[in-house]
Amino acid sequence: MIERWALVSGLKGDLDTYELIQKDLKKTPGNITLFVLGDMIGPEKNCNRLLHRLINPKSNDLQPWCIYGWWEEQILLESGYRGDQRAEALRINKGEEVVKSLTNAVDKSFLDWIAALQFGFVELDCGLIHGSSKDVGENLTLDTPPLTLLDRLTRLQVNRLFTARSKQQFHLELTEGIVNSEVEDLNGNRKKEQKVPQKAVIGIGAGKNYTLYDVGTDNTQFVQAGYKTEKRIKGFGRL
Amino acid sequence: MNQAVISCLHANLPAVEAVLKDIELQGITNITCLGDLVGYGPQPNEVIELIRDKEIPTCQGCWDEDVVDGLDACDCSYPSQLAEKRGHFAHQWTTDKLTTENKDYLANLPYSIRKDKCLFVHGSPNSQHEYLLPDMDAFAALERVENARAEILFCGHTHQPYIRELADGSIAVKIKNAVPKDTQEKEIQLPMRRIVNAGSVGEPRHGGTKATYVVYNDVTNEVKIREVEYDIELTCKAIIDAGLPPIFAWRLKNGFEFAEQAEDASHVCER
Repeated sequence: MIERWALVSGLKGDLDTYELIQKDLKKTPGNITLFVLGDMIGPEKNCNRLLHRLINPKSNDLQPWCIYGWWEEQILLESGYRGDQRAEALRINKGEEVVKSLTNAVDKSFLDWIAALQFGFVELDCGLIHGSSKDVGENLTLDTPPLTLLDRLTRLQVNRLFTARSKQQFHLELTEGIVNSEVEDLNGNRKKEQKVPQKAVIGIGAGKNYTLYDVGTDNTQFVQAGYKTEKRIKGFGRL
Repeated sequence: MNQAVISCLHANLPAVEAVLKDIELQGITNITCLGDLVGYGPQPNEVIELIRDKEIPTCQGCWDEDVVDGLDACDCSYPSQLAEKRGHFAHQWTTDKLTTENKDYLANLPYSIRKDKCLFVHGSPNSQHEYLLPDMDAFAALERVENARAEILFCGHTHQPYIRELADGSIAVKIKNAVPKDTQEKEIQLPMRRIVNAGSVGEPRHGGTKATYVVYNDVTNEVKIREVEYDIELTCKAIIDAGLPPIFAWRLKNGFEFAEQAEDASHVCER
């Protein structure tokens, strides 16, 4: 049977969208594993129903495998789960009201569950994270320099990196990388040609826009919940 | 014009004096220091005051940061618990010995110094604690220089001097699921960049006992690693007299490794 991953992020408390995705996935052929790459919460709406559903799936739900995202990091900071630090970046950029909205949107009883979530998963040769292997808040996009993308792949020692923070959907392959390195030290000189095996960074989208990944063929499908599966049109440059 | 770059002095006054003398003998007046003035060695105040008196521009090293802010390097910085214990002991000893004035000096050192196309840092542009080892992944090494918007990156921290040139690089990029076809693929040429590690004045870890630093000519772009002998016995005696771990003297005298460094060059301390 075909093995597929469904990669979801940015639900931000939207249980309706999550239910729509679950409904979609029931109709999707193959053996599906559902990964939720963070931002399950947000300041816009009450997140308790969604969190309850993620923690306690219905009997016919696909079991969600969750990691924390940028908004989870903000609430953990603000709630004292990161030592003396608070969500100052959020406070400065969005204001005190948004900080309050975020803390009001999530019942404190869920904080321990959020705090126990992992930064990411490594499955096969793939890294599944919210932002990047450097920072949960880092945006990786089609415009990110390839050297930076390679570095983020190298840090996790993976060949595929699934990222959600940018909210964009893309599948960028890095192929035929080469660089010549010459080192001179007290023992003399040595030269080495380093090549990069084929690697890729995949933006999975956010909210209703999610990604199906076929593990066997390395193909991605960019999907909008509630609509039939379609391949998205993407090109270089800003979206 | 020739300029000298020194790093990792580690409170070893005889070594610092010998290196500064060697620099002076070459007629070089432009010196940059990449930090770690203190730690391991027995004369932290004397070394800081020498660098201050000579007004040598200096970056903050990981030890300089730690004695000011408290230990923030995670355990990955040490290869063993024993090494960690020794490191923590030296940290406390140094903190106790430093004058308030010298602590303030260390606290106010910049993380990096930029001079035209050159960037000077202690560990890497990411962190004072990150090791840029000579044989680390070439693309990751290139990324450190390129994202720092430099052509030559001068660093220390590994205590192993080297000059690394990264050239003739390219990466092909392809977007799957893309249309129109003509925008799907492109090849990106990577710039030639260099990483120059100055080694260590006060705590060499290159297999020998000599202090090292580098001389860079900003006209010819030539870089040379210099090795300098110094009175090791003097430093070793001062280490023992100060009550610091005898292994600090033993490894200086024998030129053995036993370095307190992480093996994972790509690791960035998150603490």
